[in-house]
Amino acid sequence: MTAFDTLIAGERRRQRRRLWRASGYAAVVALASVVLLGLSGWFITAAAVAGLAGTIAAQGFNYVLPSAGIRLLAILRTAGRYGERLASHDAAFGALARIRPALFLGFAAGPADHALALTQGEATARIVQDVSVVEAQFVRLSAVPGMITALSSGLLLCALGGWRPALALGVCLAGVLALATVLARRLEAPGREVQRASGALKDAFAGVADAAAELRCYGAEAAALAAVDACSLRLAEAQRAQAGVSGWFDFIQAVALGMAGVSASLLAGPSGAPIAALCALAAVMTVDGAGPVLRSLAQRSAVREATARLNELLPDAVAEAQVANCRAAPSLALLGTHLPAGARVALIGASGTGKTTLVESLLGLRAVTAGTAFIDGTDIAAIPLAIRRATFGWAPQDAALLAGTVRDTLALGDPLADEAAMWAALADVALADVVATMPHGLDSWVGEHGVRLSGGERRRLALARAYLVPAPWLLLDEPTEGLDAATERRVADGLAARLERTMQGLVMVSHRPAMVALCDRHCPIVAAPGLVVTLPTATEPQPRRSRRR
Amino acid sequence: MTSITKDRARVSRTYLKEVVADGGGVRTSTSLLLLDTVAAIGFAAGLAGGVVAVSSGVLAMLPWAVLAGASGIGRGACAMLAARVGARGAYRAKTRLRRRIVTAALHRLPGSDATTGTLMSAAVDEVDAIDGYVARFLPARIAASIAPLIVLAATAVASPIAAAVLVTTFFPFVVAMILAGGAAADESRRQFVALARLSGVFADRIGALPIVLAFRAEAREARALGEASEDLARRTLGVLRVAFLSSGALEFFAALSVALVAVYAGFNLLGLLPFPVPETLTLGRAFFVLALAPEFYAPMRRLAAAYHDRQAAETAAERLAAIEQASVAPATVVPTWPRTLPSIRFDSVSVRYDGQHSAAVSDVSFEVRAGTIVALVGPSGSGKSSLLHLLLGLAPLSGGRVSIGDHDLAEIGSIAPIAAWAGQSPLILTGTIGSNIALADPTASAERIAEVARVAGLSPMLLARGGLGAAIDARGGGISGGERRRIALARALLKPAPVMLLDEPTAHLDADAEARLIEVIAHVCAGRTTIFATHSARLAAIADVVVDLGEIA
Repeated sequence: MTAFDTLIAGERRRQRRRLWRASGYAAVVALASVVLLGLSGWFITAAAVAGLAGTIAAQGFNYVLPSAGIRLLAILRTAGRYGERLASHDAAFGALARIRPALFLGFAAGPADHALALTQGEATARIVQDVSVVEAQFVRLSAVPGMITALSSGLLLCALGGWRPALALGVCLAGVLALATVLARRLEAPGREVQRASGALKDAFAGVADAAAELRCYGAEAAALAAVDACSLRLAEAQRAQAGVSGWFDFIQAVALGMAGVSASLLAGPSGAPIAALCALAAVMTVDGAGPVLRSLAQRSAVREATARLNELLPDAVAEAQVANCRAAPSLALLGTHLPAGARVALIGASGTGKTTLVESLLGLRAVTAGTAFIDGTDIAAIPLAIRRATFGWAPQDAALLAGTVRDTLALGDPLADEAAMWAALADVALADVVATMPHGLDSWVGEHGVRLSGGERRRLALARAYLVPAPWLLLDEPTEGLDAATERRVADGLAARLERTMQGLVMVSHRPAMVALCDRHCPIVAAPGLVVTLPTATEPQPRRSRRR
Repeated sequence: MTSITKDRARVSRTYLKEVVADGGGVRTSTSLLLLDTVAAIGFAAGLAGGVVAVSSGVLAMLPWAVLAGASGIGRGACAMLAARVGARGAYRAKTRLRRRIVTAALHRLPGSDATTGTLMSAAVDEVDAIDGYVARFLPARIAASIAPLIVLAATAVASPIAAAVLVTTFFPFVVAMILAGGAAADESRRQFVALARLSGVFADRIGALPIVLAFRAEAREARALGEASEDLARRTLGVLRVAFLSSGALEFFAALSVALVAVYAGFNLLGLLPFPVPETLTLGRAFFVLALAPEFYAPMRRLAAAYHDRQAAETAAERLAAIEQASVAPATVVPTWPRTLPSIRFDSVSVRYDGQHSAAVSDVSFEVRAGTIVALVGPSGSGKSSLLHLLLGLAPLSGGRVSIGDHDLAEIGSIAPIAAWAGQSPLILTGTIGSNIALADPTASAERIAEVARVAGLSPMLLARGGLGAAIDARGGGISGGERRRIALARALLKPAPVMLLDEPTAHLDADAEARLIEVIAHVCAGRTTIFATHSARLAAIADVVVDLGEIA
């Protein structure tokens, strides 16, 4: 059993009361549908027979029970279907409210390279779609109990006409299920082709959309459109093939419905017209009651693929104890450079030499080779992730923000930070005045990925978030990229004052002179597989005061 | 519903209607659904005849059984064909709409804040969302207004009173739908939006997973996600209670019509009706109307099942319409360019994208003299690419003036006709190496293409892969970054444009590869007015003038 299956099974257990209720309602619906039509058929036919036999027979015909039964069943069927819908959606929502966070925790606990791979929008959209496929499957869980009830009530009613009509009904239903299973398997290939074609289309589109300048210059838009169109046609063709196979589900159900009705009435003929009528209509409604199961089978390959993909994303969790915030001030060693607690180092080097990679491996977001870095003399490869992450307050290079308010963003750095601490951090990144003029202050919405902020504001907010982390080292990746000189100056001053106050160490990737000047040592990063260690340009920490004067 | 959401719903509905204007096979698909109803009448007749013939033995039942069987198969065939025709219509509608969206995406307004990611999900996923609308909802909607009438007519032939019973249940049903349906449609739209929002939060947290991990907030965020989900589930369920009411009404009246027809027919046959009726039913007629009664509401149930398709399509249509609105028709003003090399002058130029607080470029002035090379340097985000895009009409000129020779950029929109381009991620289309170079000039002769490929330094690659006819695919499998740049430079060589623009043409290359590429770049730029953006000091060294945007800012 895969990790995701275990998760789903756990949720099914947790939701079993609601699922039972949904199944119960589904059974009521199935029973009421089969018996309603069967009883009605019997009632009419028996009434006709009695009517023909003369007034006395008609007077003696007990019409009260059947006609009351018919009305009761009509109400039961309606109430049952309403109840089933509510209960199954209730169960699905309840389960998904736990599956989403569990999946999220699962990804989070998995190997680090997963985490970075997931930031691509495509992968994210895929996961969200897959989760909704699983959700829809949860809603359909009551289909099987419904079908079983329909079958048992149908068989019982048909048995009134002898074993032959009952057998015929059983054969029809078994046949349609067997055929549907075969069809479900045949849907797998077009389903995969749809996935592949969709991926190819996205690649083609992204390539063309990113090359707008080239297309303009060469007037090659028509060629590019034709290339995207070819992928679009391939996807649409694959979807059409998929719909073609799905169409057969409708066909086999309609045929089975007809066959069940005809054979049941023929075989029940010897038991008299009323029973034949009852068997025919009951058989028809029994096959009709299998409809949800057929639709569920039509979705089977999609559900399987979705769960398989989600399962791939749920690697075996790396169990780790939660570690308290790392408050002691440890020393660091990066690429052979020893950094005492409170030191300030600039990682410098041309772009593409792996500065950001080094930063991300310190945080355990990338795999790290032994010997790259040490915390208090211990190789970080041997240090639990939680401790490594608690050691650094990180400002990422892309200044990524979560959707939420300014307060939410800052609380990510320190959930216990009070307003004063937040405003102080904002002031240190020259953002306090900006936030103060926002309509809702700290509670202003910064939008998904911080879209309501300019690039520079986003970067500074991400920096303020890093400042709030109660960690002994700040780990800032290009903190002032894209800022104008005046703002950069204010950010640099704020950082210097802050470091003086907190005594935190600083590891910074930057090639902006104003920022590099804050550091007392430089650590050049060279793009070589062996990571050549170069001596820092200033081995002795210079007195900081004199530098700032 | 507020008037704003109503307006938006109306706009997206109008847009959808226009998208599927040619019918998309809807008419055929609807006809098949109507044929399905006709076959249902045959099936009911077959069952009724069979039941009547029971007393005469199995042989007498057989013709009726054949009718019922054939009708059953006919129904299946109709349903299957309707699905296929619907899928074909959706195929046409989707591919055509996608062409429009991709075209709009390529001609998006300079400065639009749409990213490649959002455009991609619009062009692929949101276009796919109209599938069910075309394939299922539209045929079901038209069929739902005609098919019940067919059933009613067939019922009336056998028993006008039974038909009247069906009509009687229909009116309260319509009233119930008007009362519950309006509220329910409103509620279910809200629920749809709420679910979409939750998916959005989930997507955001997954997308920003590295941040969550590094700040050790996984447990907190998971808890918040779970709470939001549970809260939404609770509220959604309240909403669904109302939303399911309309389908509940549908169910109730469907079941009620069957029950009333059964009871009426039974009492009529018994002759025990408490009121006089002008008809006396036979078993055959009575059974026929009973077997047909469920078909009266079936088309509306099919429509209700496709309602979700409509909502998904309308939600997508809203965004697609916005993308088409945010696109511009390619400029039609084509100035006559002199044969001499132009100079390019930037006077206090600013570029500010929509929705951004600060400008990407502000107040930049410099001149590129005819036939010289200017390098733009400065940190990422300092606006190097924006200035290059500005010249091609891909970024908005929000202040200042750009002159190219005697022309004002604001008037001509773009210098694309006289420019060649090489960037850091050159476009590779599925085809051959030769066809990819020939993108710059489809009329170029094979000799000319071979010549530029040689000058661009592609000879080793051509040798290894088997010449210009070697196939390459859109993902550029097996082509190195350096080779891609060389293909772009070969394109630039092929187009005898007086202006050459290069956007970080040596980014992500190792020093060796860069040095070799710089030779080719110098060759390509010779005899043209050139602007390139770069981080590389070695590339900047071949420029006549270096403009540092970081210093200006």
